[in-house]
Amino acid sequence: MEATNGAPQTKAGDWRSYERVLLPPVRDLHKIDVYEQHGGYEALREALTSDRWDPKSVTDEVKASGLRGRGGAGFPTGLKWSFMPPVDPDVPRFLCCNGDESEPGTFKDRQLMEYNPHLVFEGMLLACYAISAKAGYLYVRGEYADWISHMERELENAYAKGYVGENIMGSGFSCELIIHKGAGAYICGEESSLMESLEGKRAYPRIKPPFPAQRGIWGYPTTINNVETLACVPLILRRGGAWYAKIGAQRHPGPVLYGISGHVNRPGVYEYPTGMLISDLIYEVAGGMRGGKKLKAVVPGGSSTPILRADMIDGVTMDAETLRDAGSMMGTGGMLVMDEDTDIVSWLRRVTHFYHHESCGQCTPCREGAGWLENIVTRIDEGEGRLRDLDLLIDLCSQMEGRTVCALADAAAWPVRYTVTRFRDEFEARCRPSLVAAG
Amino acid sequence: MPKVTIDHQVYEFEGRPKALQFCLDHGIELPHFCYHPAMSIPANCRECLIEVGMPAIDRETRQPKLDKDGNPVIRFMPKLMTSCSQDLADGMVIRTHRTSEKVARAQQDTLEFLLINHPLDCPICDQAGHCPLQIQAYKYGPEGSRFEFRKVRKPKHIKLGPRVMLDGERCINCTRCVRFTDEISKSRQLTIIERGVRNYPITPPGVTFDDPYSMNVIDICPVGALTSIDFRFKARIWEMSSAPSITTTNAKGSNCHYWVKDNLVLRITARPNAAVNDYWLPDEDRLDYHRFNENRPDGPRIDGRPATWDEAYARAAEVLRSVPGEGILFLGSAHATVEDNYLLTKLAKALGADVPRYIPHVEPGHGDGWLRTDDRTPNAEGCRRLGIEPVDEAMIRAKMEAGEIKAVYALEDDPVAAGLFSAEALANVPVILHPYHTTNETLPVTDVALPAAMVVETVGTYVNCDGHAQRVRPAKAIRDVNRTLVLEMDKGRPDKHGTPFDRWHHEDHQVNCRPSWVSLPAVAQKAGHPMPYKGPKYIMAELARTDPAFSGATYEAMGLSGVRLESVGEAV
Repeated sequence: MEATNGAPQTKAGDWRSYERVLLPPVRDLHKIDVYEQHGGYEALREALTSDRWDPKSVTDEVKASGLRGRGGAGFPTGLKWSFMPPVDPDVPRFLCCNGDESEPGTFKDRQLMEYNPHLVFEGMLLACYAISAKAGYLYVRGEYADWISHMERELENAYAKGYVGENIMGSGFSCELIIHKGAGAYICGEESSLMESLEGKRAYPRIKPPFPAQRGIWGYPTTINNVETLACVPLILRRGGAWYAKIGAQRHPGPVLYGISGHVNRPGVYEYPTGMLISDLIYEVAGGMRGGKKLKAVVPGGSSTPILRADMIDGVTMDAETLRDAGSMMGTGGMLVMDEDTDIVSWLRRVTHFYHHESCGQCTPCREGAGWLENIVTRIDEGEGRLRDLDLLIDLCSQMEGRTVCALADAAAWPVRYTVTRFRDEFEARCRPSLVAAG
Repeated sequence: MPKVTIDHQVYEFEGRPKALQFCLDHGIELPHFCYHPAMSIPANCRECLIEVGMPAIDRETRQPKLDKDGNPVIRFMPKLMTSCSQDLADGMVIRTHRTSEKVARAQQDTLEFLLINHPLDCPICDQAGHCPLQIQAYKYGPEGSRFEFRKVRKPKHIKLGPRVMLDGERCINCTRCVRFTDEISKSRQLTIIERGVRNYPITPPGVTFDDPYSMNVIDICPVGALTSIDFRFKARIWEMSSAPSITTTNAKGSNCHYWVKDNLVLRITARPNAAVNDYWLPDEDRLDYHRFNENRPDGPRIDGRPATWDEAYARAAEVLRSVPGEGILFLGSAHATVEDNYLLTKLAKALGADVPRYIPHVEPGHGDGWLRTDDRTPNAEGCRRLGIEPVDEAMIRAKMEAGEIKAVYALEDDPVAAGLFSAEALANVPVILHPYHTTNETLPVTDVALPAAMVVETVGTYVNCDGHAQRVRPAKAIRDVNRTLVLEMDKGRPDKHGTPFDRWHHEDHQVNCRPSWVSLPAVAQKAGHPMPYKGPKYIMAELARTDPAFSGATYEAMGLSGVRLESVGEAV
């Protein structure tokens, strides 16, 4: 993390001279010929045909890279792969790639699927090889219809060139990739309900344990990774885990796609190392605040991650440890930026509406609580709130968090808890004056 | 044996039980809704939360860490766990709401959530009074509500099928009904639709919920979302009395409760018995109660004219004495109890007649290999064990035509309707009959009719197709005063029948009939063959003692769940 050329001291190091690897500046990279010209499928060929690689060494290389899941929870990927039970020829195993990106503020996987689909396929094939799976599913959210047909077209090309299917590149390794179109619900992005959905069932999350590595798709050992996570794998094999581990923040390394939206001059998906200063991302990468207004708040990693006030982001960088200490989370790296004119109550109302609408309804606290939260925030937003509503909101969050099968209840409660506590004065100002003195 | 500590008390356990079931088995009540012991565990209601801890293990020595008093250090999981899905493990420490404020608060919180969108229309809900949500809300729930918004609106009074009505708003989405059709009845006729707080169970498009076991979902629904179309709004639960008994529509003898008000059977619900029917009951068993209430006789008749019981007994005895014993055809009944059939065999033997036969009522194709059988009678196996075989129709008819049958004594059946004899064939033969109904087609040619008590009015034993002997108890009162019946009804009755809503002592719906174990000895007495039994209990005790086919089947042993008899010979 040495600084050069007067660049700010961040964990991302000299991010100004960073060269993109996930979304390199290559024209028509989605075409298989172009992808091949730029070293595409070489990592796969190397892994499948060279004596240097076997499934275990691929997993070890990914472990050595320090790659952590990009889907939100940041779980170490190599470790997750090693949870798969020993190979039993009678028991099928599956890889699942989670492309059901639907958290508000998150739109990075779409970019990968559009501009570098073969990197995703190559990553999936390498992961299948590492966990000895003969089939990999790519579950893409149904609303991404155009991207699904785009991916399917490119997958056909990969099949035609022999990178996918029977006896890949003469190595004896066979693997099918299947693109599965989601049926349109946020909950399908939760890994266990994604598997239920894939099986054609109602997408209710499963109780864990058993974990997917024990009982996944159709009850068989399964590994589920995010699109961006798997896209990193070919890069790691091509250039080495040590190279990857050196990029960005030491304990959360690698390139990451920052999806910056909101009141900035240049919203969009940006590839940079982890550990970028939030202020750099806003003021340098995204071109600063729109209209030169002041920053009010940042939601660093998708709508469910705790909101940070402008005065809380000094020196805060985008990696799991730093953000945790700052009181938030890395999430998916989908950063929402709000300027001083933002009505934070209205914003929260929209967020609570989303989680109310998307709660699957399996568990009581989430099913009932998410709607109740929206009711109360709506009432406050409309100027009919009572001061006691604020404490009730916090109370309801406590009644929801950690009491459900999956983490959707937490995702629904955190924005409320942290927005109300961190912007309490604005909420109080919106509530009707109490007729009874407090106390 | 591995040990688990629940609320400071240590229990031993075997296998891998789940915490909730283990607690329930050991008398620790944990509130729950979605969990059902016979079905998969979705852990969706989040009501049965507990605190779970395991002994902390020292990483270096791999031994449990001890505190300064030498007790193992317990590391509790940061989140509360659902006890229904929590496997017990050796050394585990569990805190329930009895010792943990956190758990008690969590249970209260979940109940608060469950109630915010629940209609709270208990005053007009059939489930009120035996509603798990109502009961547990009172026991574990919050006082009052902090919810100040419109409740969610969902479809109400939807007929899911011919027998089950849905009220979507009352549903708490425990998915028991859906799991029942998926896992138990396998009809897969129910599913959850919509999402989130608008969720409710319904049939898929174009499907009718006509599963022959559909009404079980009414029993297992923990709220009043699924109610019986047949029973809707007929009576409140606290206005009725219930008696544990068995159903008699087929040879399975599924265990049930008969729900009675004013001596009318209004409803039949399942009673769990792992040896017979688990938790379930076929719909046909549940709806088979009209025959207990309708077309019932109003006392004995001689040649179709009303008579007193004594007159009828005397006339029957006279008939029996007037013909030679070997000329009397005794017909036992697979509808009647073991005791009644046994007395009949004794009477036949005393008079020198052949061993009684019974009329089989078999409907091929009716059985489903589960709780329905081809045999539509409850006691064919009991008859067989008494040595009463099915009638040989050809031989009996030949005997009748040859004039060898001088009299017919038929227990609790209908030989004419069953096609054994035509009414004309019986016209010139004296017939003594113990009928259930005035619609009995043999009645017009019957000389002496001694109306018999049905399964809901008597005490007795039935043996099901698997050789499981089970007792029945009176659920409703008959006109006659009988000490045995009163005593049997007595158990648990004073409180229930003390309700001002159930006028069981009124004569309005009391049927003027008698159990055959009253009528048969009375006739035998007058015919000169006294049978000094104090009641069915003593008859069964004698059988259990003397007949190996009924070994062990005393009333005490049978209790509420019955006794599996030793198998004897080939099944019928």
